[in-house]
Amino acid sequence: MSARPLAPQSTIDLATRAGPVLILVVIVLVFGLLTPSFLAAESLSNTAKQASFIGIAAVGMVFVLLTAGIDLSVGSVMYLAPLVAGLLMRDAGLGVAAALGVCVLTGAALGALNALFIVGLRVVPFVATLATLFLFRGFGAWLTQSRQLDFPDAIRGFGLASVLGVPVPILVFAAVAVAAHVVLRHTAFGRHIYAFGNDPAAAVKAGLPVRRVQAAVYVISGTLAALAGFVVISQIGRLDAGFGRGREFDVIAAAVLGGASLFGGIGGAGSAVIGALTIQAVKAGLVFAGINLYLQPLIQGAVILFAVFFDGLREARLRALRRRVIRPRGV
Amino acid sequence: MTATTEAQAGTGLLRPQTGRIRRAAARVLLSDHFVLWLSLGYFLVLLPFLPTLGTPANLANLLSNAWPLLVVALGQTFVMTAGGIDLSQGAVIGLTSTVAAALIATAAPPEVLGRAPIWGTLIAEEGGIFAGQVWVGILAMLAVGALVGLVNGTLVALLRMPPFMVTLVAMMTVSAFAIWLTQSENIRNLPEGYVQLGKGQIVSVYFGPQDRPEIPRRELHAVIGQAALIAVALTLALHWLLERTAFGRQVVAVGANRRAAEIAGVPVRRVIVLVFVLSALCATVGAILYSARLEAGRPTLGEGTFLLDVIGATVIGGTSLFGGKGKILWTVWGVLFFVLLSNTLNMMNLSAFHIDMVKGAVILAAALLDVARNRLARSTG
Amino acid sequence: MSAILRFEELGKDWFGVPAVSNLTLDVPEGQVLGLIGENGAGKSTLMNMIGGVTEPTRGRMLWRGRPYAPASAAEASAAGIAFIHQELNLFTNLTVAENLFIDGFPRRGGLLRGLIDRGAMQRRAAGLLARLGLDVPPERTLDTLAPGERQLVEIARALHREASLIIFDEPTTSLTPRETERLFAVIEGLRAEGRTVIYISHILGDVRRLSDRIAVLRDGRLVDEGPAASFDVPRMIRSMIGRDLAAVFPERTRAPGSRPVLEVTGLSAPGVVENISLTVREGEILGLFGLMGSGRSELARLLMGLDRAAGGEVRLLGRPLAGGPRDRVRSGMAFVTENRREEGLMMDATIRENLALPGIESFSGPAGLDRGRIAATAEALRETVRLKAGDLGRQPVRALSGGNQQKVVIGKWLPVRPRLLILDEPTRGVDVGARSEIYAIADRLAAEGAGILMISSEMEELMGLCDRIAVMSRGEIVAEFARPAFEERRLLAAAFRSGAAPASEPATGTEG
Repeated sequence: MSARPLAPQSTIDLATRAGPVLILVVIVLVFGLLTPSFLAAESLSNTAKQASFIGIAAVGMVFVLLTAGIDLSVGSVMYLAPLVAGLLMRDAGLGVAAALGVCVLTGAALGALNALFIVGLRVVPFVATLATLFLFRGFGAWLTQSRQLDFPDAIRGFGLASVLGVPVPILVFAAVAVAAHVVLRHTAFGRHIYAFGNDPAAAVKAGLPVRRVQAAVYVISGTLAALAGFVVISQIGRLDAGFGRGREFDVIAAAVLGGASLFGGIGGAGSAVIGALTIQAVKAGLVFAGINLYLQPLIQGAVILFAVFFDGLREARLRALRRRVIRPRGV
Repeated sequence: MTATTEAQAGTGLLRPQTGRIRRAAARVLLSDHFVLWLSLGYFLVLLPFLPTLGTPANLANLLSNAWPLLVVALGQTFVMTAGGIDLSQGAVIGLTSTVAAALIATAAPPEVLGRAPIWGTLIAEEGGIFAGQVWVGILAMLAVGALVGLVNGTLVALLRMPPFMVTLVAMMTVSAFAIWLTQSENIRNLPEGYVQLGKGQIVSVYFGPQDRPEIPRRELHAVIGQAALIAVALTLALHWLLERTAFGRQVVAVGANRRAAEIAGVPVRRVIVLVFVLSALCATVGAILYSARLEAGRPTLGEGTFLLDVIGATVIGGTSLFGGKGKILWTVWGVLFFVLLSNTLNMMNLSAFHIDMVKGAVILAAALLDVARNRLARSTG
Repeated sequence: MSAILRFEELGKDWFGVPAVSNLTLDVPEGQVLGLIGENGAGKSTLMNMIGGVTEPTRGRMLWRGRPYAPASAAEASAAGIAFIHQELNLFTNLTVAENLFIDGFPRRGGLLRGLIDRGAMQRRAAGLLARLGLDVPPERTLDTLAPGERQLVEIARALHREASLIIFDEPTTSLTPRETERLFAVIEGLRAEGRTVIYISHILGDVRRLSDRIAVLRDGRLVDEGPAASFDVPRMIRSMIGRDLAAVFPERTRAPGSRPVLEVTGLSAPGVVENISLTVREGEILGLFGLMGSGRSELARLLMGLDRAAGGEVRLLGRPLAGGPRDRVRSGMAFVTENRREEGLMMDATIRENLALPGIESFSGPAGLDRGRIAATAEALRETVRLKAGDLGRQPVRALSGGNQQKVVIGKWLPVRPRLLILDEPTRGVDVGARSEIYAIADRLAAEGAGILMISSEMEELMGLCDRIAVMSRGEIVAEFARPAFEERRLLAAAFRSGAAPASEPATGTEG
């Protein structure tokens, strides 16, 4: 007879593990029942397309949350990075592909700045990224004198294109999610992120490159926030001064809603996808159901609160699993 | 000390001297009034360049900007000291200012508010159902504010949800609710008694020749207004609460070491709930001061970067984001610094975006300073 | 036989107080060295120096004949030294295989170059686990494993890293007897493979059974060393303690009364404790002895209302207790936990602030806290507990030594005049001088009529101080002894009653 406990498979465990997917399915079904047109292929594709904006940035946020950090500057990066690219397009005649490259590199540089403060100077992530939230947006507004920036038309050729009937934003979102999944699951770097988030002290003792890991997640978050900004700008063709403001909260909410833990070590690329889709499904569903525009944030808030509650439940469950057992079953 | 010896300071010949300088630096850095010294220094440095900075009109303006922010930051100080954060304060300001205005406005234009769901029940053309009854309005505000704080605190304390997420959701929902109430319209026509709470003057000063029979009102500078009285009274009361009562010390204990506090018999959950209620009530008092100055209830009153001002001022004062370390006095200086900063930036004709950048830089500098202070405290402790 | 690791006149001072001094010792290659000593004898400091956590003040270490001065845990690991603590350095959110290969995953080649080769990792992990007889799928997440299995995973990691010296520090405290037997078999296997093992434990029988040689530390010095065969348990104890214990313990001031202070009946919590019944009388010091992981601290947490019990009753002075810690503190309970940093102190707050906390509400007057009275109380406590500290109103607790920190944790309860004081390992990591002062405080409180429940894994201190000793094992109270019946062998036999496998020799030892 073995003393090995079975893998926890109680209903609660199953619900906490598969919770985010369940919530998404329930939401889609409920809105589908209320307004069947919500389930039409076109509206579902539209929902996914709109989810790609928050979703791409949420993938980056998941990297940060996995290390038990936070990045409040993503909303400003979404604004500043495409702005730099747009200015170069306008003034230096940059092509769309080059602009995309500039945008993403700018995002990486801004993320590196966060990393410098957090890893190099040991400022807590919350404060460091709160400061850069102001800095990046202020810098962008200074560059444009707070005026709207119109992009050359060519850029919309990118954002509004489809490949084999799939809109580009969805493709980018899918590519980012798949790449992130591969990095997180199948590379040493990815597993180091999980290890660090689970137990930073043990990660140091195991000789993992913790500083590099911690710095990298902020660079990734900046890069993907920039990409997310570019994907939206390339659809609407202009960038106004308020773009991305307050989005950091949507992005964090999406990641947490999808199952990433604020305490680190739990979550994955899938969390960002599920979370962003859930938020967008709620938003779109509320529109379809004709709910008063003003009341929609109330319902969104309730959904997020529910997800956070689940997160806490899961944490408590994990703590209980870690607790020393004095009278093991089977003795 | 001569220049040559100064050059040798690094060689170790002058260890005692540098030690003394270090100790002096430590004393200033670790002082409770560090941010006050910082503000005064900043003020004096800029004075020659900004002649209007020191004028009575500007100083009065500076103070009048400080009171409401101070009131709100006091509540944030309590939450942070207990180890939490309250992102919902701005939304509470929007909601409570709207609720009060809806109840006590003395008139309401149907073309503006006719579509609001509260039209015809709470408010109509002849004003709110308690039109003109300032105290009913204020009590209602406090009740609504306390309710939001109670929900926040209960979710954090009993369900052990992270304060960041709880108050983030509260921010979203409370502000959405406020906007829904009036369909994002402002409610004007507030009774005079209410407006006086923000604008009323008690002691004003006049600088100028004494030979004129009548002093133009605009040359009278409010030194003590009703807002100042409210803010100062609240500051003193909350200072007393945090420093001189068992509850205040328990707030610190919960933030410093929640488990140790629990074992020592501190009613941890109650403390957390009360701290969030207090924070929301402070936001409500801030709402009174802001909406009275604005002479309107506005559902979006506390939106935008306001919240970051509050958190920034509190953190710069020296209160720790991780709890266990916080003083009302620190927050007073932090608010002073923040208001002075905004004021001077405005005066330099800097645009909103420059102000954003400088604010960001200042928050960062404060954080770095805090890192340095903590290291210093460790090494000298 | 050559030494794989050699200490030469090694010394380490903490703030001028030597923790290890002039230590010269060989760790013979391919053998098991048993290392024993009381708490504070210098074992952990020595391990920290080997592990690159602290730097020696004097002397040096030689690893395979070459000077060895690791600057970090990672360097020690790279040199081929692995530690198996009771606190495992594993990642509970990763799989078993990932934990094994976290610092060097097998990579794929070809098109997917750089990615982790999960197939190869799984196979190699399975091979490593098989060597240890651990039948667990490598793709299982670690948090689904039992403590003993996790420990074997950590040993497998050491094997994977080709560690040639594996140091076990109290490895059996959270293991079931079955798991312990398996661990011992594994250690035998490691030695058979030619690896070197240092085995640290308070369970002297185990040390004797496993070791080839035994070294005894006391007060930071090597006091005894030799082949295990020449050590019997009495010699081990004599070497470890080596001093007159009587002087450390106070004469008990008053005999215990008869009125019960604490009455526990049938207290149970599934998986933790089962059917606990005990009584602490007025003026009585009841010792609670048990090995680590026997449920002593968990029982204390239940008594304090920090965890919920599933059944049973706790009465204080005849009144049943139901609420949480606050209610229990208000009705007269006090608790000094085993982790003073995590659960006892506000490290960055001042000493005065810490001392005032439990009684803070009693310092309240109509005009708020009476700060003069708080300061006076703190000063009085300084005398009572013989606190060696500076300005109580300015100095943070962090700046105190371990023993003085512990005095703050105990002292803060005195102003509330507790009726029942629970002390959980109150002398852990505390030097002998501070210990006797802590014992004196306990005696004084008892003399004033309080009941004291003292949890300890050090038999000597319980025998020296207590009126009665209850013994816990596997979450149950298995025996109770009155003072005349105190005898080391009987206490230990009881502690092992449901624990020791019948085949093993009578377990004898001491907890230090």
